[in-house]
Amino acid sequence: MTKCTFCGRRAAYHRRYAGVFLCDRCMIRSVERRFRRSMGEHRLVSPGERVAVAVSGGKDSVACMHLLADYCRRKNCELVAVTVDEGIRGYREESLPIARENAKQLGVEHFVVSFEQAFGATLDQITTLARRKGTGLNPCTYCGVMRRSLLNQAARELDADKLATAHNLDDEVQAIMLNYVRADFSRLYRLGPSYPPREGFVPRVKPLRGIPEKEVALYALLKGIKVHLGVCPYVGGIHAEIREFLNRLEANHPNSKFMILRMFDRMRPHLAEAMPEFEMRRCEVCGEPTSSTLCKSCELLRGLGLGRKQKTLISTKST
Amino acid sequence: MRLGEITVKVRVIGQRATRKVRVAQKTRAADLLNQLGLNRETVVVRLNGKIVAEEERLADGDSVEILPVVTGG
Repeated sequence: MTKCTFCGRRAAYHRRYAGVFLCDRCMIRSVERRFRRSMGEHRLVSPGERVAVAVSGGKDSVACMHLLADYCRRKNCELVAVTVDEGIRGYREESLPIARENAKQLGVEHFVVSFEQAFGATLDQITTLARRKGTGLNPCTYCGVMRRSLLNQAARELDADKLATAHNLDDEVQAIMLNYVRADFSRLYRLGPSYPPREGFVPRVKPLRGIPEKEVALYALLKGIKVHLGVCPYVGGIHAEIREFLNRLEANHPNSKFMILRMFDRMRPHLAEAMPEFEMRRCEVCGEPTSSTLCKSCELLRGLGLGRKQKTLISTKST
Repeated sequence: MRLGEITVKVRVIGQRATRKVRVAQKTRAADLLNQLGLNRETVVVRLNGKIVAEEERLADGDSVEILPVVTGG
């Protein structure tokens, strides 16, 4: 039997990058400590603020909501949850009730906004249309851009001071690598624990950025939190290849993911300096903030012959 | 079963069938994952219903559940 390095109980996890074994209790405590440290170190949320957390029902977002609920109780903050229903048959209808159930259990007000309601089409329909029109863009491109836009709009309508997303260490390192591979400087320099406030955007924060995805999953499983462990049917392409590469690297060379993040964080201030200033405008179709005449969502929708349908997203509560 | 071998029941969550796998005595869960072509960074191992570190050694008749948890979503 392998034993916990700290208390001698049966180990549930070997944290290879630190050379320690952790039992269930020490593992839970360790994740909670890292979460609180990240919140404090980067000043992600201030006492009394209203925080909107994006919750899909998956392990990361549900764990993030549980951790934030506890944090907000201690810091006298208000927490609300938002789920984006992209309209992915056989996937989102399984995870959405889990998000709702967890929010209810924590006493967190929960709202659902959907692609269908906002854009008049589900992601499944958008994907079919994109293939028919031969846009050459994959579902993740549409989903990523449109989900971000809806979350920002929903958080703004809910008067949130911060929008928390459950991006973990793996997500962040994948995004760094992806932007390198695509030589996308403007997206690369914006990656960080929080986004600076800009007009029209609710500042986004990522409290799980320093916690590996496997540890977030273990936290949820060991705490007995109900989560959806399904895999999005659209997962694939370069994102999946980069994830596989990083996991292979980590298996052979523990600590690689942290080292990539640490190196990037040292470069980040210099990247921001090198980035030219740009003026924020309003999208001429939907009024959302953009650096161009059209926001990215409206640009993608226009390419498919679609447009925004509903101006206001938050009208009814889900729970 | 050959001398020095044990049999464990393995179920990968998300796949329907439970299969019996022969491994050498004193095999660790990490070795089983290797044998199955699974990356330890992406899964959690439940041994007889309990989440364990991958260094845990397996015994004859053990039930091993493998949960793919690093899926990017």
